[in-house]
Amino acid sequence: MPLLENGRIVEDFWTTIGGDELLPPTGPVIVPLDRLEDGLARPAGEKLGVALPPDAEIAVLRAALPRLALVGVTFPTFRDGRAFSQARALREHLDFAGDIRVTGRPLPDQYEFLLRCGVSTVQLPDGADPAVWARAHERFTTAYQPAVRDERAEGFGLRRFLA
Amino acid sequence: MSAEILAAPSSGIAPVGHYAYDQVDRAFLHDRVEQFRDQVARRLSGTLSEDEFKPLRLMNGLYLQLHAYMLRVAIPYGILDSRQMRELANIARTYDRDYGHFTTRQNIQFNWIRLEDTPDILARLATVDMHAIQTSGNCIRNVTCDQFAGAAADELLDPRVHAEILRQWSTLHPEFSFLPRKFKIAISGSPNDRVAARFHDIGLVAKPGRHGTVFDVFVGGGMGRTPIVGVHLRDNLPEEDLLAYLEAMIRVYNEYGRRDNIYKARIKILVQALGAEGYREKVDAEFAAMDRARYRLPPETVAAIRARFGTPALDAPSDAAERLAGARRADAAFDRWVRTNTHSHRAAGYISAVISLKPDGGIPGDATSAQLDAIADLAERFSFGEIRISHMQNVVLGHVRQDELHALWQELGRAGLASANIGLIGDIIACPGLDYCSLANARSIPIAQKLSARFANPDLQERIGDLQIKISGCINACGHHHAGHIGILGVDKKGEEFFQLTLGGSAASDAAIGQILGPALPEDSTVDAIAHLVDAYLVHRTDGERFLDTYRRLGAALFKDAVYALA
Amino acid sequence: MDVRSNRREAGGSSVVTANRLLDGRIVWLAGDGAWSGRIDAAHVFSNDGIEAVIDATARRQQADGVVGVYGVQVRDDSTTPVPVTVRERIRAFGPTVHPEFATLTEVPPDVR
Repeated sequence: MPLLENGRIVEDFWTTIGGDELLPPTGPVIVPLDRLEDGLARPAGEKLGVALPPDAEIAVLRAALPRLALVGVTFPTFRDGRAFSQARALREHLDFAGDIRVTGRPLPDQYEFLLRCGVSTVQLPDGADPAVWARAHERFTTAYQPAVRDERAEGFGLRRFLA
Repeated sequence: MSAEILAAPSSGIAPVGHYAYDQVDRAFLHDRVEQFRDQVARRLSGTLSEDEFKPLRLMNGLYLQLHAYMLRVAIPYGILDSRQMRELANIARTYDRDYGHFTTRQNIQFNWIRLEDTPDILARLATVDMHAIQTSGNCIRNVTCDQFAGAAADELLDPRVHAEILRQWSTLHPEFSFLPRKFKIAISGSPNDRVAARFHDIGLVAKPGRHGTVFDVFVGGGMGRTPIVGVHLRDNLPEEDLLAYLEAMIRVYNEYGRRDNIYKARIKILVQALGAEGYREKVDAEFAAMDRARYRLPPETVAAIRARFGTPALDAPSDAAERLAGARRADAAFDRWVRTNTHSHRAAGYISAVISLKPDGGIPGDATSAQLDAIADLAERFSFGEIRISHMQNVVLGHVRQDELHALWQELGRAGLASANIGLIGDIIACPGLDYCSLANARSIPIAQKLSARFANPDLQERIGDLQIKISGCINACGHHHAGHIGILGVDKKGEEFFQLTLGGSAASDAAIGQILGPALPEDSTVDAIAHLVDAYLVHRTDGERFLDTYRRLGAALFKDAVYALA
Repeated sequence: MDVRSNRREAGGSSVVTANRLLDGRIVWLAGDGAWSGRIDAAHVFSNDGIEAVIDATARRQQADGVVGVYGVQVRDDSTTPVPVTVRERIRAFGPTVHPEFATLTEVPPDVR
């Protein structure tokens, strides 16, 4: 499945590991939250990501976070907006600077919201048209409220320029 | 982007009572319209399924109702100007069947809209700085406000500037556009609650504090299937923390609100499940952890937005009150209308006038395009072009000179808008009901029409006094029946309409949820039942006692007998 | 789609309805497979085979430009199909509060 970053398709170096799959000893892997310990048991230099289910509190990652290069958040359906708060809290409360990746079934119309909540990459759902996603990122030039992206103030009220 | 969109309003003066858009706001609206045009194209081509398109159209106010699409246009904090009202009239004429319907959230709905016309309608609305953003969907809805804001004698603080700040802050909010369920905020600046603050997801009461504006915060109120009076979450929230605290409140809801059952998804259910203390703890923890500087609302920002509001130059002649008194003495019908349809103004020589959209036997909240135009003209002539929509589905002209009130009343009479029934039994709230709404179980409007025709006699109405009848066609309670002194709820029994009566509700400072009187009644005996309730009240009331007070004093048994003993 | 509208008795007969995607207006499935704005043009199906008809019709709704296909039980004692529920009668004949918006010029008597 194609990976989107800043409105462009990029190469995906990560391997997502299922619940009972064997963990490769090296290489960047994303493990489910309940296998975080297995992931952390790998050599310290190996890139590790974790997939957070929508009902998990981000605080469970606090101790492991320095070792994590990626946190996955997911949309079981596009209507379930918990991932927005998880992403935002990862950036704001835990100062997470790594990759926040969205999986599941988001809509392109949610892309700007995702970026503004701190998401960096989106694993596009099957059949998604990357052009529609790219257009969604260019649609608006201003926003009306603070967000965790460091957006330049527009000069009036709470408005800021969208990058 | 076209040149017109960037052009400032021709007058160049800020509109009285609401925020003046600039070119950045207009560019934003333009982009939003084009986004929706693209979404409609993707839906028509089949790229978007109906399931995927639905939340996107809802966030632009477009429902698929019983007979057609319905477009709900936002009237932020219930304020619009003459120019905007005339565009609404144009839309009613051009795209609807010549009607607009004002709602209990101070918005306007058009019942006969075509999907293919909607991007053009939104583009026309944008030319007068209006939109339909977030009038539906599981997001922060149109913020409602006191219909006498900035005018009422009893007001401590005009809440509209903060309502506008909340409008801007909540517009396309990145984190809160896919909440478990819809989210409604009301704000008032008066100790007399006219916004039903305790029946909202969040109710805010603004007041002057020692160091600037502060807010009392209520949370978790609501009607619907599970009516709950909101809990008092905190006092004296400083203005600069307003957005931060709301972010914390709604974040906790986004994270913990139920998503498995839409009937249990509102914040009221979460607050009940956690308990007020449990919810407060989570909010306080979030509030303590968050980057407060990021969400701070600085006084300069408030001042800058306040500066975009036009203020009326109030300058009545010194004998205005005297001349009004003379006109009242000379004209009994006018005197009656003044008694019921006006509200005290903070400035000498001024008064607020309520235009009833509840004619005898009419559809509550409906207006023809000609009436919308007439209201626009009258607002321009008598009230600085400013128009307010009340959650009671009426229209208010906020700043009318007392010596000009008689002339206004005469003009209203010519437009069929001079019903003298505000706050009386004829001033009925009704949702669209089964005549239009795809969720409804029963029709609301015909019950309202029959009741208002039955109690049309103005002497009788005044004798009955303060009595609020509120009718909902289903348990979603858009007609606020839980908060009616008499509430009427339509239910479906095997495809036929029945009506359940509740008594004792109130949306005011004495907020209460009405109690079910007895078994639901068939349609043809519902109006008689209300008449029996009124008769019982008239027999048993003491001097000056409202229906609600008599009910509270005597209890349900007497009223139950009045309805069911005869059956 | 509203389940309340889709309830049917074992016997009896039904018509198939939807809303047009472009303008949202109510349509009824006619005998030739086309959609009509008038219920008096609707084909009346026996409830025995109605589920299969609804399924087949729902599968082609994007191509037909309609949304929300479902079946509506009608009275057995009328020549023009008259739905058994108030809700569907209002859909078929128009809102009761604006006679000028009636969908048929000659509404069968006693349909409210």
